Amino acid sequence: MPTVDVTVEVCGMAGDGTIAAGAMINEALSRGGFSVLGFDSYPAEIRGFGRCVTRSRIGSETIVAMGTDTHVLISLNETEAKSRISFLAPRSVVIFENNPPTYVHHDASFVAELPPDKLLYGMPLSDLAAEAAGTPRGRNLTALGGFAAICGVSPDLFISVVESKFKTKGEKILSSNLKSFEAGYTYALREFSDKKGDAIQFPELPHNDRMVMLSGNQAIGMAALDAGLKLYFGYPITPATPIMEFLASTLPKQGGRVVQMEDEISSIGAVLGSFYAGARSMTATSGPGFSLMTELITHGVMAEIPAVIIDAQRGGPATGLPTKTEQSDLHAAVFGGPGDSARIVIAPTNVSECYHYTIKSFQLAEKYQTPVIVLTDFYLDNRVENLVMPLASEAETRNANVSPTGSEGGNYKRYQITESGISPRALPGMEGYIFTATGLEHTEKGSPDYSPEVHTAMSEKRHKKIAGALVDLPKPEVFFVEDRLDVGVIGWGSTFGSVLEAVRAVREKGCRVGALKITSLSPLHASLIQEFMERCNKTLIPELNYEGQLANLIGHLHHGSVVRLNLVTGSPFPPSLIIRKIEDLIDRGDI
Amino acid sequence: MARERCVIIGNGPAANAAAVALRQETSELDIMMIGEETFPHYRPHLLPAYVAGAISKEDLFVTPPSFYEKCNIRIRLGQRVVQVKLDQRELVLSHKEIVPFDALIIACGGRQRIPERLQIFEELLLTLKTPADAQRWIEGLKSAETILIVGGDLTSLSFATAIVSAGKRVTFMLDEESFWPLPLSRDLADDVKQRLTRKGVEIIEASCIKRLTRKSEDVIEVDTDTGLIASNLVGAFYGLIPNVKFLVRSGLDVERGVLVDENLRTRFDLVYAAGDCAQIYHPELRDYWVSIGYRNAMEQGKIAAQNLSGGMISIAAPPASIFCAEGVMVNTSWWMEF
Repeated sequence: MPTVDVTVEVCGMAGDGTIAAGAMINEALSRGGFSVLGFDSYPAEIRGFGRCVTRSRIGSETIVAMGTDTHVLISLNETEAKSRISFLAPRSVVIFENNPPTYVHHDASFVAELPPDKLLYGMPLSDLAAEAAGTPRGRNLTALGGFAAICGVSPDLFISVVESKFKTKGEKILSSNLKSFEAGYTYALREFSDKKGDAIQFPELPHNDRMVMLSGNQAIGMAALDAGLKLYFGYPITPATPIMEFLASTLPKQGGRVVQMEDEISSIGAVLGSFYAGARSMTATSGPGFSLMTELITHGVMAEIPAVIIDAQRGGPATGLPTKTEQSDLHAAVFGGPGDSARIVIAPTNVSECYHYTIKSFQLAEKYQTPVIVLTDFYLDNRVENLVMPLASEAETRNANVSPTGSEGGNYKRYQITESGISPRALPGMEGYIFTATGLEHTEKGSPDYSPEVHTAMSEKRHKKIAGALVDLPKPEVFFVEDRLDVGVIGWGSTFGSVLEAVRAVREKGCRVGALKITSLSPLHASLIQEFMERCNKTLIPELNYEGQLANLIGHLHHGSVVRLNLVTGSPFPPSLIIRKIEDLIDRGDI
Repeated sequence: MARERCVIIGNGPAANAAAVALRQETSELDIMMIGEETFPHYRPHLLPAYVAGAISKEDLFVTPPSFYEKCNIRIRLGQRVVQVKLDQRELVLSHKEIVPFDALIIACGGRQRIPERLQIFEELLLTLKTPADAQRWIEGLKSAETILIVGGDLTSLSFATAIVSAGKRVTFMLDEESFWPLPLSRDLADDVKQRLTRKGVEIIEASCIKRLTRKSEDVIEVDTDTGLIASNLVGAFYGLIPNVKFLVRSGLDVERGVLVDENLRTRFDLVYAAGDCAQIYHPELRDYWVSIGYRNAMEQGKIAAQNLSGGMISIAAPPASIFCAEGVMVNTSWWMEF
């Protein structure tokens, strides 16, 4: 079976149906048995302005990262598509509108700028859609029909996706979309028969109906539901809003509530209040909202109240780049807020981990009575992967509260200093207990006390508790274990997929390189990370931030220097850059 | 001030020779080539050898993309000119793009000719004009044992012998229309038959095809004036016709090709034609002649460019080398080689 690794891009203006077309490509090819990783880039404005781009990397083997090159470009807006020309691979396929409403002067023409090696497939998309369905609105479907015919994708895959997507919207809309698709398919099959075989062809693979397409945000929402979420409090912000949207349509059916709060401060306050009362709750936000939450997060640390907070990072600082990806909240997540406020920060690296680590975060929060921050980013939240529907076990979802045994009599100490630092927590309503929750430094019983002895002892208790959480946090995972490595690459969050692909590629050339995935960012498995770094002649840490925030956290663990590779383009980390850097380090010969 | 732009329609030997010659003449000109085919400049006369596996695909191609970049020649492939507006000095491409030009060289070559009576069977016929055609032959020949070639242009002769040498059984039906643009006299036909027979090609006496029918996935039945022939593949080789249909309403004088004087000028200022699509005036013959063949095309492309840059070079074709075919005067570099 031929190996396929193709990136398909749809580019249009907001309102062209670009994102919908990309989603249908993902779904169709997933049903066709391919591994799919999709990612959309869209403008910060609501509608009518700006460029929308969807990228779908489709492979016959598991895809873990988004590549740089595009092999098929479907243009729904030629002006916007101009910006994508530089990403086109040699001999790539370009499907475009060849009968625009007006003539285009050479200086403004998209086609004029295409390099000569590109394979052009001009189609009268609007005309075909209008003729087939009575309206040109389905021209995105017509373009998909063209794509299927040109690249040898079975039309049945798309037809089944269109049927699933539109069957609830009435026969007329379903029929209109199917006709638009079929018009494009038939046209391309007929008009481009002489070019058959020029374009990339997708082989037929065994279909896999068990796979579902899930985004990081959907996985987080599903995980929260499966974890028994009772209450969600949030304030809309890109890229976290889809979590609230998902839960708004699902949580009430399970007896829960979604409440849109007036801001992020009230959101975290309500989450702390819910957990204080014993109900699992959650909030999701992004950098600007997270910064507003920090005081109350530290309140959770001090008062030892659980909370689950999703920080979906985007480009910053401040309002920054709302619809671009970045990993620059790491310092804020680990350290942000007043005082020594140790907390748990966990960062999934793919959609499956978004699910499992969100589930885990509820138990961690309950057991260690502290806010848990799940650190994702725009790319991870919005990218879709096809995977077997994740399902949490009973053990993953069960209540992890550490409750008092009842033997305390009238001497219950809410903040009792214990060996582990974990104090049994009585929930309001439990008979015979006094319930305290104070942001002031306090004694074991919860009474305010600012004495040096108490503050020292309580600070130590809280930090010991968090350090002890390491036993429940995922260990760093080593890929390609060897005694000595020329270059060891450490990755976290959405960048890890790019790290893994790069390391695989360089190893295929015979180089001794390995990768380390870190998902627990606070507390850190310092000794395991150190052990890996000491086996590496050079340690490379690629991150989507300017300074190298993970490098700042772990650089001191190793006697040698850590090489930082930082990117703040707002786009996912291209594996090719990491490959180049690894090869550069090896070629320099100083390892 | 914007630089002046010369557009060259085509990407064959005449067009490429014109582009290179123009660049040699001046660096102060935007040169844009617009070719309908998606392939970079290739040698069509090597296609038979490529199909037979005697040369690699890379050997077909003449100039790498980097060459154009180095020469600052902009090349656009897979894009079709549908209209030439000479009064506005503009071209219209099939995707509704308007390209202004100051000077124009038409070197769009020819396309495969299928006689009208066979056009309804076109789906069953393979041709050999482009690398894509060659690819289809290569795919077909993987399982084909018997090949029928009808027509008999210059390409077919080298192709038939090439695939015989590749171990295939080739039957040749020399059609009376086959030698366009050359006349197929009885003597010439006998000469061709003898040459082909010597090389292992079976000649059949039929001269006319009535019908083609696909009998199965890999068998085509050909009904001829002398009986039925079954073959795995059928190739049609009837020569080329100038690809000038899009020029019909341009105001240019178009007969079989674009009419130009001996300096390759049309009647419009700074508009030239060269190669297979041009019909050139010969003062001695007092008539127009067309040329066929890679070498002729290159020579004409170069001269058109030199004249566009201020030269006054005439096409040198001795009257004796020009044939009269179907009322058209023809000079072919391929024929001279055959």
